[in-house]
Amino acid sequence: MTAAIADHVGSIGGLLTLAQEHGDAGFPLAHPVEGMGWAGWILWLPIISMVLCGLCAALRIKNKLPAWITVALVGAAFVLTLGLYASYEEPVTIELFRWFEMQWGEGGAATAFTAHFSLYVDKLALLWMLFVTGLSALIALYASEYMEADLKAGYARFFAGVSVFVFAMSCLVMADNLLMLYLGWEGVGFASYWLIGYYYHKPSAVEAAKKAFIVNRIGDLGLALGLYLTWHYFGTVEYVNAEGTGIFNQLQAGVDAEGAAGGWMIKSIPFLFMLGAFGKSAQIPLYVWLPDAMEGPTPVSALIHAATMVTAGVYLLARMFPLLEALHPLALPAVAWIGGLTALLAATIGMAQYDIKRIMAYSTVSQLGYMFLGIGVATTYGGAYHVFTHSYFKAVLFLTCGAIMHGFAGQLDLRKVSGLRHMPGWRIVSWTMLYASLCLVGFPFIANGFYSKDMIMAQAFISTGPGFTALGVIAVITALLTAYYAFRVWFRVCAGPRYYEMGDEHHGDEHDDHPGHDKPHAPRWAINLTLLIITAGALLSIWLFYRGWGEEMVADSTAAGGVPHPHHVDGGFWADPHAWMPWVAGAVTIIGMAIAWYFHLANRRAADRLRAALLGNPATRWLPTAMENKWYVDEFYHAFLRFPLWVVAHSLNFFDRYLVDLVVIDGLGRIPRWVGRWFQPLQNGVLQSHAATMAALAGLVAIFGLYAPELRRFLEMLFGGGGG
Amino acid sequence: MAPTILYIACVLGGLGLYLLVRGGGPERRGTGPIKALGALLGLAALAWLVVGASDALAGEEGGRPEAFFVIFSLIAVAAAVRLITHTKPVYSALYFVLVVLASAGLFLLLEAEFMAFALVIVYAGAILITYLFVLMLAQQSPDPRKPDEQAEYDMNPREPASGAIVGFILLALLSRMIFEGSGELEAPPVEEARVAAWRELARMPQRVEEYIAADVDGEFELVWDGERPRLEISADGSSAAAYYRVAEGDAPRRFPLPAAAMPENVQRVGLGLILRFPVSLELAGVILLMAMFGAVVLARRAMELGEDAKREAAQMRRLGHHDEPGEPAGGAGAS
Amino acid sequence: MMTTLAQLESMTSLTLAHYLIVSAALFIIGLVGFLTRRNMIVMFLCTELMFQAAAIAMIAFGRFHFDISGQVFVIFILTVAAAEAALALALVVFLYHLRDTLDAERWSELKE
Repeated sequence: MTAAIADHVGSIGGLLTLAQEHGDAGFPLAHPVEGMGWAGWILWLPIISMVLCGLCAALRIKNKLPAWITVALVGAAFVLTLGLYASYEEPVTIELFRWFEMQWGEGGAATAFTAHFSLYVDKLALLWMLFVTGLSALIALYASEYMEADLKAGYARFFAGVSVFVFAMSCLVMADNLLMLYLGWEGVGFASYWLIGYYYHKPSAVEAAKKAFIVNRIGDLGLALGLYLTWHYFGTVEYVNAEGTGIFNQLQAGVDAEGAAGGWMIKSIPFLFMLGAFGKSAQIPLYVWLPDAMEGPTPVSALIHAATMVTAGVYLLARMFPLLEALHPLALPAVAWIGGLTALLAATIGMAQYDIKRIMAYSTVSQLGYMFLGIGVATTYGGAYHVFTHSYFKAVLFLTCGAIMHGFAGQLDLRKVSGLRHMPGWRIVSWTMLYASLCLVGFPFIANGFYSKDMIMAQAFISTGPGFTALGVIAVITALLTAYYAFRVWFRVCAGPRYYEMGDEHHGDEHDDHPGHDKPHAPRWAINLTLLIITAGALLSIWLFYRGWGEEMVADSTAAGGVPHPHHVDGGFWADPHAWMPWVAGAVTIIGMAIAWYFHLANRRAADRLRAALLGNPATRWLPTAMENKWYVDEFYHAFLRFPLWVVAHSLNFFDRYLVDLVVIDGLGRIPRWVGRWFQPLQNGVLQSHAATMAALAGLVAIFGLYAPELRRFLEMLFGGGGG
Repeated sequence: MAPTILYIACVLGGLGLYLLVRGGGPERRGTGPIKALGALLGLAALAWLVVGASDALAGEEGGRPEAFFVIFSLIAVAAAVRLITHTKPVYSALYFVLVVLASAGLFLLLEAEFMAFALVIVYAGAILITYLFVLMLAQQSPDPRKPDEQAEYDMNPREPASGAIVGFILLALLSRMIFEGSGELEAPPVEEARVAAWRELARMPQRVEEYIAADVDGEFELVWDGERPRLEISADGSSAAAYYRVAEGDAPRRFPLPAAAMPENVQRVGLGLILRFPVSLELAGVILLMAMFGAVVLARRAMELGEDAKREAAQMRRLGHHDEPGEPAGGAGAS
Repeated sequence: MMTTLAQLESMTSLTLAHYLIVSAALFIIGLVGFLTRRNMIVMFLCTELMFQAAAIAMIAFGRFHFDISGQVFVIFILTVAAAEAALALALVVFLYHLRDTLDAERWSELKE
């Protein structure tokens, strides 16, 4: 069988044939199992944590109790996840409770809607859950120290938000059906909004939260439509079914998309799911919310916008990999191209920013692009594993940026802080940041990013698809840029002469309640411990790679279609991209690091001179300007989307307030008053007014009686004509 | 009759009345012509109405309504208009007398002689006199030094426009209603009136016997049809005959009744009142009694009030309290 | 007399409508006067005028239908009019003594 697979691997059509030829061997499906209801506690514990944090907020508890509650309960969820992993044998679904069961009509496919609150536990889900719960617990620990300034107000609210997030993310990852996934999807969107807007007194934070939510909404629309169409086509939203009619059951049995009833609508399902994924995971064109989301506190940026939430889109596409394969031949290439282009674009923007958190945000967007690229070129293993490694090193990078911000009163400009590693108490931060940067750039052998990125880039040259080779080249170039900007940060901030300027904020809000504010204060045990544990986790993941653990995890799931098997191809060294890619990527990385070293450590003024030279030359002036201004994407959106909508909204408001309210409603209201005033003189109490009223009414009755036949005829003509 | 003619007549009449009513008050310049115009318009309206009506309703003869009717109607309407427009209330009362007389004339035309004169006696003789008494008592000029000046409320009418409009809308409606059924409004011929009058004689058997007894000597007995004596009435109502028997078993003999035997209006009214409306008669008496009581009670209190006030003003002693000189009257009247 | 009048009558086209028109005109004039004049006594005089109009209509209908009850009813109208006049005038005198004026507009307590 291995030979047969080897013959077919490398073509997407081949993968499809693989699924069709080998029936159940395509990818494993879960089946329901009893007696594992304790796994539900992975979901319930964060909810309990949220409730308890809410209670703390209501009771105005001013100490760190909410933090410890969250760390404890989320940590317990992590332990349960480990237990689930340990007791895992094969993919199972665990039903927690019956949620939706609706039926109507008789027969037919789309006449029932069933969605239970169940957990779909396979290796892919477990892979995600491990780092989600683990990192959440650790970052909650980090935040217990980081958010100290808000102990008087909002501390409990923060941890409630984190708890909600963990619950929603778990729902999303372990969902048994698309509806529960959607629940988690919306839940993480809500948690993200809540936490970005944590400093709600700051207008920029409020704007950023709104932007995140609204841009995500566009993606959510795609997901919702995809969900509906899936239900319409497959007749169910469940992944697997006891009756064998789940989505994956049907996909495994073979699906004929060309002759599908519903035509283009069914074929658009993959693209709709992609839209949702791009919204949540910040790809072109919906990435604009992620850099602004840095307005939230750093633990939020680390947890949600680096490690976990933004990977939800990747998870969705990985989970739905068979669907993407089967329903449209261009679905996966579209994913790949968008991912690749986003990676390149975000890297170019990141190169020109000065705010280290922003740089990390664009780096996240770029790395997410790599993950999508991986899925698109049919290495779900590469994509998923890159998610895994990325979560570790990106979390560390953000946490270190946060520590700098925390210590230097909000200073995030890399031109203003230098030589951090020489300062006492900052060593752990500096060295973990170095290791994480090495992972980010994929430094050969010692960094886990090296392995995951290489898999993706190599597969781009192996899989056949529209322009995949060009994509591979783009990916390599982006790797160069990644190396440059990552080490630009490290060389500027952590190396070089000692220098610092304190920031003018304190943890992002206006309160200044630290005495001795002019001195930086180094991070203490919670921050340092967290950084060390995560770094250890990153190192662990290298070991796991060599054990083939990641591959095994992805292969034992519905994303198995994207797990390429290693094979030997004759034709020498250059014929096998998996062989030469490590060398090429390594070389590229080192070149990038060297450039960064030159401009940002050895000869810092050279960077300024280069920039001035570029700006001075009219032919190249556009380059740095555009890069620094993020290629004007935000401005473009504002002009073509926000502004017209604003105009429409205001004109409708005008219409409502002045035309409808004033003229119609107030006008109608004035009529009784006007009528009353007209009759008022009759009510003066004089005898003759009474007599006049009587006479007038007698006249009215007389008129009515006199003209009754004509009146009746008139009314019949008006109304009776229709009624016969 | 086309309603348009009717409405135009009513509009003219309304305008005329309005002008007349409004032209009250102290001698303002220009009131004379206004009033004249108003009177002219009113007359025109009435003439139009009546003449137009006659034209529309012309029977075989195609004649105009008889002179007496025209005279009496005109007098009645003109007097009524003058009643409501005259500023001095006494004149209004006198014009009302004129209205009563004119309508008495109309009653005569309608063969209701008794009612005509009863109207004159009761209204003009009793009610109007009462009105005049009250007017004398209550009508005073606002300024004692100018006894001829009229009160302000007499001179300025109240919302004449709306009054006129309301009135004439109603008149238009009434006229319209009257003319809607104009096809059936022919006055029945006079022969039928006579026949109906002779029939009433059947309720007055005593009168029949008196007439028979005047001519026939000896005992006789009327022939009865059920409860009423048998009467034979000619088709045109010009004569009637009664039947009587001299003795039992005799064949009925015919007795032609003289023309004077036809019941007169007074007798007919009395008959109707007693035979058909006895209860109403009694009730009418009760009403009058209540009115009398009410008037006495009200007037008495008013009188006492007035008396006490006068005595207070003059600081006179109250009647019956001789041993308290100078003490002012207090409380309600005694006894 | 009746014969002469009746003969005259047969030569004309006098119908019930004529009398009713006169009655209606008198009634309306009385109504307008009631609504327009402010002197209380004249107001009641106008109500008497309306009674008159009703009486004319009664008699006319009685003549038309050959029913003596038309005239009988006018007797009752007369009775009621007399009773009403007596009471009305007594009240007017009473009110006059209270406010020393016959102006009907001074009495406007029957409002909201």
